[in-house]
Amino acid sequence: MSLDAEKHERLSELFSAYCRGRISRRDFVRGAAAIGGLTALQALLTACAAPSPATSAAPTSAAAAGAAPTSAAPTAAAAAATPVPPGATQLTATQAPSKLAPQRLVYAGGQDAPTIDPSDRTDYSIGALSMQVYDRLFRYEGGWPQPIDPCLCTKYEASPDGKEWTLHLTDTAKFHDGSPVTAEAVQFSINRTLQLQKPQANSLLPIMNAQSVQTPDQYTVKITLTQPYSELPRVLVQGIMNPKLVKDNDGGDNGATWLQSHEAGSGPFTIKNWTVGSAYELDAVPEYWQGWPGASRLAGFTWKIVRENTSQRIGLISKEFDVADTLSADDLPQLDAQPHLNSAVNYGILTGYTKLNDQKEPTNNADFRHFLAYAFDYEAFKQVVNGYAQILTGVIPQGIPYFDASVGGFKTDLDQAKQYLAKTPWANGGLTLDYVYVTGLSFEKQIGEIWLSQLSKFNINVNLIPKVWPDIVAGCKTPDSSPNMNMIFTGYNVTDQWFFYQWYSPNWDRQTGGDFNTCSFTKDPNFNGLVEKVRATTDETEKKNLYRDLQTMIHNQVPDIPIYVQPNILGFANRVQGYKYFGAISVDFWRLWLDDSKAMVKPS
Amino acid sequence: MRLRYYIVRRVLLFIPVLIGLSVITFVISHMVPGDPVGLAAGPGATPQQLDALRRSYGMDKPFPLQYLQYMLNALHGDFGRSMMSGHSVWDDLRAFFPNTLELVVLAMLIALVIGIPLGIVSAVWRDKWPDQLSRIFALGSISMPAFWLAIVLQLVLSMTLHVLPVGGIYDSRSTMPTLHTGFLLVDTLLNADPAAFGLALQHTILPAVTLALGPIAFIMRILRADVLETLSSDWVKMVRANGMPERVILFKYVLKNSLIATVSVFGFIVGYSLGGSVVIETVFDWPGVGLYAVHSAIALDFQPVMGVTLLIGLLFLVVNLATDLTYGVLDPRIRYG
Repeated sequence: MSLDAEKHERLSELFSAYCRGRISRRDFVRGAAAIGGLTALQALLTACAAPSPATSAAPTSAAAAGAAPTSAAPTAAAAAATPVPPGATQLTATQAPSKLAPQRLVYAGGQDAPTIDPSDRTDYSIGALSMQVYDRLFRYEGGWPQPIDPCLCTKYEASPDGKEWTLHLTDTAKFHDGSPVTAEAVQFSINRTLQLQKPQANSLLPIMNAQSVQTPDQYTVKITLTQPYSELPRVLVQGIMNPKLVKDNDGGDNGATWLQSHEAGSGPFTIKNWTVGSAYELDAVPEYWQGWPGASRLAGFTWKIVRENTSQRIGLISKEFDVADTLSADDLPQLDAQPHLNSAVNYGILTGYTKLNDQKEPTNNADFRHFLAYAFDYEAFKQVVNGYAQILTGVIPQGIPYFDASVGGFKTDLDQAKQYLAKTPWANGGLTLDYVYVTGLSFEKQIGEIWLSQLSKFNINVNLIPKVWPDIVAGCKTPDSSPNMNMIFTGYNVTDQWFFYQWYSPNWDRQTGGDFNTCSFTKDPNFNGLVEKVRATTDETEKKNLYRDLQTMIHNQVPDIPIYVQPNILGFANRVQGYKYFGAISVDFWRLWLDDSKAMVKPS
Repeated sequence: MRLRYYIVRRVLLFIPVLIGLSVITFVISHMVPGDPVGLAAGPGATPQQLDALRRSYGMDKPFPLQYLQYMLNALHGDFGRSMMSGHSVWDDLRAFFPNTLELVVLAMLIALVIGIPLGIVSAVWRDKWPDQLSRIFALGSISMPAFWLAIVLQLVLSMTLHVLPVGGIYDSRSTMPTLHTGFLLVDTLLNADPAAFGLALQHTILPAVTLALGPIAFIMRILRADVLETLSSDWVKMVRANGMPERVILFKYVLKNSLIATVSVFGFIVGYSLGGSVVIETVFDWPGVGLYAVHSAIALDFQPVMGVTLLIGLLFLVVNLATDLTYGVLDPRIRYG
């Protein structure tokens, strides 16, 4: 599209928005003036610049700001140039040239990021910031369900038993100090994570040890797992660190203190200012080795900690923020009424289960658990949250790979419930069940109230017990300390983890007890065997069958009542472009840019 | 000499008070149910990880030994590490406390500047319209929940009028100035950067005003009562009879004699605000110690809780001492011994 045509289109969009009353006359005049001003600026730049076909093809001020990376697609180019051996997975990436001048974006994040150390915690805020300054072996932000796109690793091979993996790295990646990202850096980063034993290591420790990662050459990583695991690329999510920088700032704690507020990465952004508990400022690396995927890029962004929904909403409306996350459904009408704002409501992985204690009466009775599954009023809950809930139609959310719709979910059916209750020793009710939820979380309380209302129809009382989260975690250690019903929110990006962390009994049937994921205390050796088998299977057809069997088993045993997937609600200024939902609470800043000409144009 | 002896004695008394406070806080934070280790280790942690974490925080040792170890470390300036963030508690306190102190100082200045004149005005014009108005203002300030008032101020001044920012300590679209002392307002002045000072001040106004409204009401009402009592005393009648101008009587004699109770209350308010401005800090995303303490307490992260408690306890003691010393300035009859 020529520039004139583009401007014409923008003007038409503005005019159309004005005619439909979506923007005021003043906003229309402003927008039109901005486009006019841009034209004048472009004319000036074109007049000043040396006449060349390349300049005329991309003549915006972005070129002056150094935004257009000439080597924009090194990974894609490198990947395309490398011959792919049979059985190897070739990864491809797409790039686009920059056009608009980069600007800074202000992001109102609902959560603090107390550290940016890629070996440390897994909070969404830390993950969102960490992936901007550190490159990982793969990218997962290309959409939902999450694909595995290339980043540092351009292709990989796995042995048929899923125990030996060979990863081929790009030779074009550079750390921010200019040194190359090599296999040694990958080995150092993974080993550091294993050694520190922080939450980031939780999915690696069961399958790897300090000898697992080897480096046959500078750009090849060989990983030998301690036990087969077919989903390795999905758990290698940690950022790759510059070993030299980390060693130089070791500080006696493996660089942990230094890395809380400094970075040693190769990602598209670098830290400009890190004010603990307040705001985190990051600057773009214009010559980022992988280029920028959008029509333009950000000059940088500020992650401002704004915990209150009301403050986030006010900040968006007053144009103080460009994006806000963790908004509530109650904020949406007011946001959508603003001509300069839009919102995104997506359903990802954060799933609410009423977990039933399968080792304690009466929830240890399978018929009683079926009774509960049919007795709950799912639609009532949806109404309570104004429709912003995706009721589960299976034991895991729909977007998760290998979700099998044929397994089905539960719907309210009081006749069925009655039939199941009749099979139990408590056919006439006369029971009291404890329902524990997190203090202050109204939606968890509302679910408890629905339980209370529904079960009262069967002469069963529900005792609603609010507790603080650490108290709930402590209660989830053993079946004795756990109540009959716990309201727990959980979610995983990797399919096997849904089954492994929630219902695989060795994760709770041990000396140190379980955690909040395992508090249904399911114990079924057949199920455990299937989980172990699926984790080791690389054959896609077999995997699909095994996952269907697992879902069927959980559906039939009803260890928990799957209720709903929580929405991820984000508010955006219209000028924010390039957002793509990928199942997370936050955004991928690498893909975003700001376009002021779209400030008053709501996305269709 | 006597004053110096009094101060030394009071400072020495800080020690048993702080030890008592530390014992109570340590016992309570370790007795409440909950599993901070499980929480910090995250879901899916292996038993080895849980053990390692427990060991690294000394939680595998007997309880009294844990306390002794904590106090020994604290004497060396090591207040431990947060189990959740891994941050040094001392570093966190150094980062957050200046923010709280700046906010509280500004709020208290506002409270004094508004509260004292209003208190005098309502006493002098007793039961007249200025008194009635100030009474309504005081009642409103105390009755309105701080979080509600904060949100209303945000809605009016930030969202509708766009005159003040919605929250935070500094402008989202500007780079944070270099900090030397940790006090943003002070540092922007030291950097000779009036624009940055202006931005920092803009961000402080809304939370400071919200925090100040309660204290204004307290100061106003207490001062009003004391001024009324002083105005009705015999010596005031005598100086009036001697023809001394009313302005001199009021500001030179009556006010000074009426300030004792106000100073007592003010000392308490300052101490309370230093640790208790959590609601304001939450709504305005003000990274202060109150917010830090609450987040740590919710996560049962006991080392930050201990650190904050000891710091706020110490500040309370210092403020109390300062209040007691102010009595002597206001009333020379008060002797220290």
